[in-house]
Formats: sequence, structure tokens, C-alpha cells
Amino acid sequence: MIPERVIHTSELTKDYGSFRAVDCLNLSVRAERITGFLGRNGAGKSSTIKMLLGMIHPTSGSGTVLGYLIDDARQSIEIRRRIAYVGEDKGLYGYMTVAELIRFTRSFYRDWQPEIERRLLAEYRLPTRRKVKALSKGMRTKLALLLALSRRPALLILDEPTEGLDPVSIEELLQTLVTAPASGTSVFFSSHQLSEVERIADDILMIDRGTAVLDMSLEQIRENYRRISLGFSTAAPRLEPIRGIEKMRCDGRQIVILASSNADAIAQLGRDRGAVDINVSPISLREIFLETVQERNRNDQQRHLEHEDALV
Amino acid sequence: MLWYKSLREIRTVTLVGMAAMAAMCALVVLNQQTMRAHADVPMTYIAYIWKSVYNSIGRDIFIILSIILGSGGLLQERAHGTAGFTLALPVSRRRIVFTRAAIGYFGVLAIAAVPIVVVPVISRYVGEQYPVTQNVGFFFLWAGCGAVFYGVTFLLAHRLEGDYISVLLAIPSLMLYGVLLNLPWLSRLPMLNIFDIINGEGMPFFNEAQHLLVAPLPWLSLALMLTVCVALIIFAARRIQPLDF
Repeated sequence: MIPERVIHTSELTKDYGSFRAVDCLNLSVRAERITGFLGRNGAGKSSTIKMLLGMIHPTSGSGTVLGYLIDDARQSIEIRRRIAYVGEDKGLYGYMTVAELIRFTRSFYRDWQPEIERRLLAEYRLPTRRKVKALSKGMRTKLALLLALSRRPALLILDEPTEGLDPVSIEELLQTLVTAPASGTSVFFSSHQLSEVERIADDILMIDRGTAVLDMSLEQIRENYRRISLGFSTAAPRLEPIRGIEKMRCDGRQIVILASSNADAIAQLGRDRGAVDINVSPISLREIFLETVQERNRNDQQRHLEHEDALV
Repeated sequence: MLWYKSLREIRTVTLVGMAAMAAMCALVVLNQQTMRAHADVPMTYIAYIWKSVYNSIGRDIFIILSIILGSGGLLQERAHGTAGFTLALPVSRRRIVFTRAAIGYFGVLAIAAVPIVVVPVISRYVGEQYPVTQNVGFFFLWAGCGAVFYGVTFLLAHRLEGDYISVLLAIPSLMLYGVLLNLPWLSRLPMLNIFDIINGEGMPFFNEAQHLLVAPLPWLSLALMLTVCVALIIFAARRIQPLDF
């Protein structure tokens, strides 16, 4: 039986020497949903995924995938038996032909679906007799996807799945992913293509510097996230932070607020403080991502500069 | 099917190695008349085969190929970018390492077995005879000694990342071992000298005058060598277990 939470981590941490790649990450991925895993390069996405698969060992904390402990060698094998994974680098054995690699991979999984394999082979137009090393990057990505999708896994973990694909293949892949939950497969995928994520994801998990900065369903994001622009006739006053205010930027006579909820109350607060022009507008995932990540980046740079000044 | 992957990884080296060994054996046998005629001292055909195949170029080719076959494994896969795919398979790291080790060693055995077929067949073609039992005897010596060369490189390949590092380090390591064997207290223990056991030279089971294996092979030493090889492979597996990929 598939648990309600297909992925669950608690204070999951990974250090590489003095560098902390994943920092006390608490995440929870719901079953039979598509979860988009977002973050900048180096935010800790791949490290998190690799910990879930037992490829790297957590420094501290714990996690489960489909109810199995990620840091237990035996249970980790069970995780890999039940999930399908496409890695970021799509590294496949170059010395095998496409047909040989399919035959090789098929031998490890009892839930292999030959009819899906045949359909994807035709759809992706993969030359079965060609060596993998002779395939283009896009073809290799398609082959990696075929190996993952030709099964009925409980969970599909994809790290940058659309990288290197042409627009038609991206569209086909997204269609495949959209239909996966209907057959009982949960999807957890990382991507930099926010438009793709916005199109197919049910839930969004955003991490930055190894910490979750957003964990919400896309529906909730659309309903609750707002950009609130407050215009004042004189210099903007200082607003006290209230529930829902995620970011606040003051620029002369204007205050721009990124709100994760409570938009009406925030607008009312602005009105009470003398705002003459109040504009509440929905905000895209891309804007949330940039606001969240860039703000942290700016703070980081500021701290770094202050630290350097102190040293001088 | 992990065996299939390992087999594909070593296939080229093994086949090329077998072909090289076969070509070398064939050339040695086909040129026997010329070579023996130009030798400083007259020698029998059996002595010529021993000197050329089992105490010279054949042995050297075998040692180098055993070392090359020992390289490879998960660290090399990481360098080639395929470790992620392998580690995502529902098998333990230990099984991946042991399968690779076993298949690689089969490659060593395949190369060691080439003279059993080639030397007697071509000897008959040139009107000479070399006892198959001798070839079989040397096969076992090569199998035992080759296991050590193979095991050392296998362990190095699971400690150091890079395609040729393990091979490049295994060769001087074995040379150093050869130098150490000349130390007085070690030279008193001839059964520790793999380089002599592999060709029988100076060993109680080898007749120096006839250049033939005469007494029972040193089975205990050979078993010990295999044990050392297994221990090295277990160390390699233990080394891989906690690594991050």
C-alpha cells in the first residue's frame, strides 16, 4: 500500500566538508500528485534527490520514500525497486546499444510494461541498434525517460527531465507526466523551466540553500499569493509586518509587498496608513521564485560585503 | 543482468587480450626453428616454449592484462557519468562490486587459458609437441598469481578515481614488491615470490633441467593468493559502501 506521503524528510542535512548543501530540510510529498521541485543551481535539489535514492548519505536527519528509510541499505534497494528515476546528467552506458540497454534495465523490474516500451520507442524514434554513445543529448534524454516510464512505478523522480529535449518531446513528456497520477504514480520533478512546472504541477516545493522556502499547492499559491502595491502621496511610512507579508520593498512613495495570504488585511493596513493608490494583483510562479530567491541572494551579498568590510 | 554489464565493460580488453596472447603464442611456436637456431645454447622445444611463453613475453602480457582488467568499477563510472544510473538500480553496492570483480576475474582466466589451446594446436602444425598437461599446470599458476595482480588493481581502482590511475599505480607497486623480495629475510621464503611461482623458476614443483612442471602444484599458495584477492575485493566493496556519488 502506498503511504499518503510518498516522500517525507525530517531535518535532512548534507554537508560536503564545510559546505552545507542541504540544511535541515523538512519536506513532504503527497501521493498521486505532481510535485515541482524548484531552486537555483546549487540550491540542494540534486543532493536531496540523491539522498532519497541512497546515492549519498545524509549527514544528519532522516527521510522515507514510500515508507522506506532512505539511509538503510536494504530499504534503499526496495525504494529503488519501486520508483523510477531519471538523473540530471542522463549518464547511460555508452557501450551498449539502445536495445541492449532496454533489455538490461528491464531485467531489474517486475513491473516493466512492454507495450509502453514499444509505444515510447516509436514515439521517440529511438534507433534500437545504435550505440548509446552515438546518440545525441536529446536522444539520450529520451532513452533515459523511456527506461523510467516503461514501468508503473509508485513514484517517478525526475531531475531536470526536459533538459535537451525539443519542444515536441517536451510537450509529449509533459502530457505523459500529467496522466501519471491517474495510474497511481506520483511525480516528483525538479526543473528550471517554471512555465512547465506551472503547467503540470499540483504542488510546489521550492528550496534555497538547502532549506525549503515554499511548500504549497499551486492552487493555494494562485489563490493566496498576491503582489500588493501601495502608493503614498508623501514618503512611504514604515509598515509593521503582519501575517502574510513575505517580502516588503519600500521605494520612495511606494511600497511593494509580496503576500502569501491575508491580502485584504494587508491592503486595509495600507489604506489605514494613508495609501492613496492600492493595487492587488495575482503573481506568477516565476515572480514568486525570483522574489524569494533574489531577496535571499541580495541579503547574502550584503552580509558578505559587510563581513569583508569588517575584515578590512 | 549485472553480470552482462560487467561483461560488456571488460569484453573489449578481454577479447583483445586473448587475441594478443593467441598471436604471441602462435608467433613463438611458428618461429621456433629460427629462434632455437640462434640461441646461445641449444635447447629443447619444451625449454623454448617455457622460456618464451611462460617465462617471458607471454607471462608479461598476462600480468599487464590482469592489471588492466582490475581497473574499472564504480569510481570509474562516476568519472564517466554513469554511476548515477548504476546506483539507481535496485541492487546493493556490494553486489555491483562483487559482480564486477567476478566477471573481471573470468576475463583473467580466459586470457590465462589461451595457451592451453593455441600452443598444442600450433605445435602439432609445426611438427612439435608440447604436453597439454603443462599448459594446464601453468594455467593454474597464472590463475593464482594473476588473482593477486588483479586484486591489487581492483582495490586501487576502488580507492582512486580516474581511468588509468589504478593501472599506473599497480605497476610500480608490483615492481616495489619485486624489489622487496630481494631482501635477505624475504628471499628465504620463496613461496612468497609470485614472480617465481607464476613460471615455476626455482620452485620445488618445477624441473629446471627439463623445464617441466613435475611435482604437485603449490595448491596452498595458490589458494592463499585467491584468498588475498578475495580480501582485496572485500576491502574494495567496503570502501565503496559509504561513498557519496
